[in-house]
Amino acid sequence: MRRLITLTISLATAWITFSAAAADAQKLRVITSTTDLKALTEVVTGDLAEVDAMARPTQNPHDLEVRPSLMIKVRRADAMIVNGLELDDWADVVAQGANNPNVIPGAPGRIDASRGIPVLEVPKTRVDRSMGDVHPVGNPHYTLDPGMASIVTQNILEGLARIAPQHRAAFERNRQQFLARVDEAVGRWTKMLEPYKGSPVVVNHALWIYLLTRFGVVQVGTVEERPGIPATANHIVKLVNLMKEDRVKAVIAEPWSDFKLVQRIAQEAGASAAILAATVGSVKGTDTFIEAVDFNVQTLAQMLK
Amino acid sequence: MRVIVALAFALGLLAQAAPAPAQDAEALRREMEQMRKQFEAMQEQYKKAMDMMTERLERVEARPQPPVAAPGTPAAPPAPMQPAQGAPPVTDLVAQRPPGSDPSPLDLIKPRQPFALYERRGPGQLLFDMGVTGDFIGNLTQHNVQKNQGGSFPGLENLFFPREVEVSFFGQIDPYARAEVRVEAGQDSRSGELTVNLAEANLTLMALPFGTQLKLGKMRNRFGYLNQIHAHDWPFIDNPNVLQQFFGKEGLVESGFEATWVPPLPFYLELLGGVFNGENDVAFGRDQISNPLVTGRLRTFLDLDEWGAVQLGSSIAAGQTPEQRNSTIVGFDAKYKYTPPGWQRAAFTLLGEYLLSFRDVVVTDPDGRDQTRTRNSQGFYVFGGLQPFNHGELSKWLLGFRYDRTQYPAASGTEWAVQPFLAYYPSEFLRFRLGYKQTTRSQCCSYLDFQDNGGSAKQVSEYFLQATFILGAHPAHPF
Repeated sequence: MRRLITLTISLATAWITFSAAAADAQKLRVITSTTDLKALTEVVTGDLAEVDAMARPTQNPHDLEVRPSLMIKVRRADAMIVNGLELDDWADVVAQGANNPNVIPGAPGRIDASRGIPVLEVPKTRVDRSMGDVHPVGNPHYTLDPGMASIVTQNILEGLARIAPQHRAAFERNRQQFLARVDEAVGRWTKMLEPYKGSPVVVNHALWIYLLTRFGVVQVGTVEERPGIPATANHIVKLVNLMKEDRVKAVIAEPWSDFKLVQRIAQEAGASAAILAATVGSVKGTDTFIEAVDFNVQTLAQMLK
Repeated sequence: MRVIVALAFALGLLAQAAPAPAQDAEALRREMEQMRKQFEAMQEQYKKAMDMMTERLERVEARPQPPVAAPGTPAAPPAPMQPAQGAPPVTDLVAQRPPGSDPSPLDLIKPRQPFALYERRGPGQLLFDMGVTGDFIGNLTQHNVQKNQGGSFPGLENLFFPREVEVSFFGQIDPYARAEVRVEAGQDSRSGELTVNLAEANLTLMALPFGTQLKLGKMRNRFGYLNQIHAHDWPFIDNPNVLQQFFGKEGLVESGFEATWVPPLPFYLELLGGVFNGENDVAFGRDQISNPLVTGRLRTFLDLDEWGAVQLGSSIAAGQTPEQRNSTIVGFDAKYKYTPPGWQRAAFTLLGEYLLSFRDVVVTDPDGRDQTRTRNSQGFYVFGGLQPFNHGELSKWLLGFRYDRTQYPAASGTEWAVQPFLAYYPSEFLRFRLGYKQTTRSQCCSYLDFQDNGGSAKQVSEYFLQATFILGAHPAHPF
């Protein structure tokens, strides 16, 4: 009898394990370039996909080291979601080394999250690298704006529905539930930053324009002399004078910035400095999209008080 | 009985579905009148909204374009938002992409900057990327070394010269394949003349099944770590002695096919096999695809997370020399990179390659008869790079050191060298290096006696200056 029970339990365990493995195998495997896109993909897919990001939250997504371990993640993916505005061009090198035809440019599984985004800071004149590491197609940091969540998740949904049309209804349901939460939160955030509309701030790198524009806060200068070019002594003097003239209260930086320098500039100009969540998960307690925006808005409101 | 019940049920249903008794006609008319009025009001509202939008659009179109802020100046404050209740309208944030209007005949005859018309068409119109890199070397050494042409840049001792100016084009051909074409110019002799050659021209089929890819055309072979990298991207100034001795100064650049397979394993493993003409004039010069140079490579990778990452590879190349004698080279390579969390560059890099050569050579025995024997030789190099600062001026500096030791693949004798250097990166597109190299060669007894032209290259001291720039697009570097 004992043998029979043991055998039954073993068979049941094996069946459950096999079923779970089979269910996992049926799940979509999605890889994103950044953690922002991972967070926005997860809210669309729910339990229907395994989503992973290539960049770690604390890594600057502008310039990622292309490790073969990223290629192994991409090797198994059904879809790859990229920023699309030249933030993550390194993703192409990863896709080339992964030998996965599902995610090469032009494949159904290659999803560009930027389609239809109203892009800010698009250069209106000829640009070259004397202007620093400029983005010729405009500022790529649109995921920092909660107002863009609707477009980004729509792009993700359309892309995933191309390869898994049977899940379209579920994706749409998940997306609507998420957007309802975002709508509710945007009302709260708008109210929180309403008193500081038109307030001037200085940023380390020109990364925050979508977030600031959304809530009417004005970027008056950058710590970097030009995008990607560190500040010179002359630039710092000019920036501090500008901050004093404009009564700038806040200098915001990304987690991988030279925060000591940012703090020094803020101190000299009588302002406060803080690191905001430049990507989802880059600061403690910002593991979801809403948590990240919530942290950024609260910190900004506190600094502008 | 059942039949009666069914009939009764059906009659009941029919009674429900039958037209309702005539309604009050007057009430119905009133309701329709109300709906008509509502519809007219909506129509009026729409018309007003459309008129307002048209008027607004005309005003915007008539307004002159605002001047663009000069680079380096703080960004202009964005247009104020219309927050209203809840989510602000996204359309208020729109900064439209430049309109893609075609140039008028007047535009075409106006003097213009190169590519000005291309830029007007907006980004992405070229459908592929292009870039230019320039790599210039200056070197100083003893006069006897110059006479002997025994420096690291043979025949170019005590010169400042363009080693490699490269124009590259790369991108997707269609959804199934990508291509890259690189044309190189460089100075090879003291005469100052430049040689221009097709450095690479190949296509890669990317949409093949089972995790495979096929690359065909002319390419830098994926043998070891360094061979596939162009000289301007090397982590040090000159070619390591072992690679120079085993493959010549151009390295292994061949025409043929290369297939890779990345099996679906939980760790990274790349298997590569290739078939080539055998055009290398040092190790494999048979130059016949019917008697090919065959290559293979195995590459794996260990991600040590915050402790860095290691790449390991082993390679083989087997073919025939120009004299139709067998030649096989086996290589092992390893690279370790430590990038602290949040850093953009590696703080510490360690790289090394070890090569073994098995080459058939003809030797004359004491009786004066020629005999073919297999000569085994080996060599290696180890490089270390240190860039200990992440921010500030000091983050632009890198300290490097390389140690070389190699035997000669077709003659007896050994050479070894040490090379410290300092690199300065004003930006990621511009780099300067200053280095010193001391080479010592053992007494040699065959054709490589380093005593040509009355000079000697047994002890070589060299000072290097290197300047490298990148203009335009450049693909991200692999690990």
